[in-house]
Amino acid sequence: MRAILALALNDLRLLTRDKAGLFFTFGFPILVAIFFGMIFKGDGGGSALEIALVNEDGGPASQAFAADLLADESLHVLTQWGREGERQPLARAQGEEMVRKGSVVACVVLPKGFEEGAGGMFSGKSMRVEGLVDRGRAAEAGLLTGKLNELGFRQMSKVMTNPDQLLKTLGSARRDINASGLDSSQKALFGDFFTSLEKLNLGAVPATDGGGGAGGDGSGADGSGFNWKPVEVTVTELQVDQDKPANSYEISFPQGVVWGLMGCVAAFGTGMATERARGTLVRLTMAPLSKAQVIAGKALACFIACILVQLILLALATLVFQVRVREPVLMGVAILASSLGFVGVMMALAGLCRTEAAANGGGRAIILLLAMIGGGTVPLFILPRWMQTASGISPFKWTTTAIEGAVWRGFSAGDMLLPVGVLLAFGLVGFIIGTATLRWTE
Amino acid sequence: MLRLTNLRKRFGDILAVDGLSLEIRAGEVFGLLGPNGAGKSTTIGMAVGLLTPDEGAVELAGIGAPTLVQARARLGVAPQTLSLYEELSAEENLRFFGRLYGVDSSRLTERLAAVLDMVGLTARRRDRVKGYSGGMKRRLNLAVALIHDPPMLLLDEPTAGVDPQSRNNILDMVRDLAAKGRTIIYTTHYMEEAARLCDRVGIIDKGRLLALGTVHDLVNAHGGKSVVSVQRNGVHERIETDDPARETARLLSAGEVQGIRIDRPDLESVFLSLTGRSLRD
Repeated sequence: MRAILALALNDLRLLTRDKAGLFFTFGFPILVAIFFGMIFKGDGGGSALEIALVNEDGGPASQAFAADLLADESLHVLTQWGREGERQPLARAQGEEMVRKGSVVACVVLPKGFEEGAGGMFSGKSMRVEGLVDRGRAAEAGLLTGKLNELGFRQMSKVMTNPDQLLKTLGSARRDINASGLDSSQKALFGDFFTSLEKLNLGAVPATDGGGGAGGDGSGADGSGFNWKPVEVTVTELQVDQDKPANSYEISFPQGVVWGLMGCVAAFGTGMATERARGTLVRLTMAPLSKAQVIAGKALACFIACILVQLILLALATLVFQVRVREPVLMGVAILASSLGFVGVMMALAGLCRTEAAANGGGRAIILLLAMIGGGTVPLFILPRWMQTASGISPFKWTTTAIEGAVWRGFSAGDMLLPVGVLLAFGLVGFIIGTATLRWTE
Repeated sequence: MLRLTNLRKRFGDILAVDGLSLEIRAGEVFGLLGPNGAGKSTTIGMAVGLLTPDEGAVELAGIGAPTLVQARARLGVAPQTLSLYEELSAEENLRFFGRLYGVDSSRLTERLAAVLDMVGLTARRRDRVKGYSGGMKRRLNLAVALIHDPPMLLLDEPTAGVDPQSRNNILDMVRDLAAKGRTIIYTTHYMEEAARLCDRVGIIDKGRLLALGTVHDLVNAHGGKSVVSVQRNGVHERIETDDPARETARLLSAGEVQGIRIDRPDLESVFLSLTGRSLRD
């Protein structure tokens, strides 16, 4: 027993001597627990979907619907655009542009006729709500569709519980039903239904024009029977190229690229620490080369690997999965920029993670954290708002944006400047950190 | 050929090298002898420009500091820690380092064959290094230092942890290289190796150079007298003498001797005399 205890204590002592090992045994799990704790603590601030709202109708019902959207804690609604002090209501084109650039998950449009639909919900009309969603945000789009339906039915409930509005709506409905082609028995049923609603909510029975229904020809208003749909939410995906159908692999391809780059960074970031531990870095240092040449050689290897992994994935995506790259030149720019950005990440890791243990554990953990923050592991909308803002520090986000821009977002060269610029900045800063902190001997 | 002037290097509280000055002559085999932790590897590290001295200077004749690219091209270094890519073969390792040293393709093929033959790894040239024995790795570590055919070699404990056969092989190689006119700095804590190989030896301990000279001069100056140990009439005697042959003859002629042994002074005695400790302490 004494020997076993001695072995155990020795192992624990060894662990305390390895600062990286100690951190990843005790510190890192705590950080991960805090990270997920913040995501799922449910204080309402972490899961708001960012959407643009365009109100083309402008009537009282559409304004009430918009107010409901704005009041909903699960949504962060943008209704204006432009600089501070010069704000204007969003138009459909601006909303769609925001979706295309990925700055909002969706653009919700309350089209003209919303008011009429709200008033005619018992006579076959609908409150039409249109949603244009980002193709890469399918999960959020599903949630948004549910939310819009919920708010639509809440609007209907308001009509049902407002005596004046209900009377107005039922009066309109009686007129529409009577004028419709429904047969007399169906009209009678609606008449009874409307009368019951009036009695239930108002305690009064208005005069009717036929005890609940005029005669008809036995067919539906449109010849296909009555289809009651008071709320009609239509959510469509953003299509840059309307002529060709969407391909789901276009959505997953940028994610695949990001994970491929992550693999490159992990492999090459640990390589320097491994060389240092095995002594081969010493030999490189003693060779007739400058340190800058050694660093450049290492960076070039990582850069080539990053380019190759992206080209292989691109070839697979286009040849096997019929992914269409709409902007091939911008795709080339995105591939180059993301490779340079991730080389910078590799260099920073190689400099900061000085031992093999730190590089193997720490390097991968840092990459994983960047992936988490950048939306590589959990959808960004799940993250707290501050963390969504902080996602800008992750090259994963910018690589995804740049590649999506070239594949299906229809980015222009100007649109591509931001993600490419940020990725190049990552490359430069990482290279500076890496060269400044790189230790050449064990 | 290589001048180290008043080198000083500290790691935290530990003064690894303390005011060490040396001059290595062209074509000689210079041994740096001292126990583990004496400061040999730190001295080599500064000599090849791997470590920056806190004080002092290193100069390669006609070129300057060893950190200069031209200086490095003239040095071949076999570090004490094996510095090889274990996932690569011997040939791949040698080709890679040869290219780093700017050896052109045709010359590289020539040198590759020569050094593989020299270290006895021709038959295993395409095997991955991770499958090699410790002795084979040591020999390859030396081969990498030789691939660009440098005029000066710094071999840091090149026989550490190898079997006797590989050790003899390495010692033979060093002798061959010396015969070809290479300048060699050889660090070791094995006094037998220093005595067998080196034209001059510097004895180092606690970062200071204690003595410098040929093995003969050092032994004469610091080794003390020879000791003749004799067993006769059941009694053991230990006699110190400057002329052990004459003393042995005298003892044998004086009567029946059950056993006799002569211990001549060596570098171990020199180190003991200079430090009061054994080399292996």
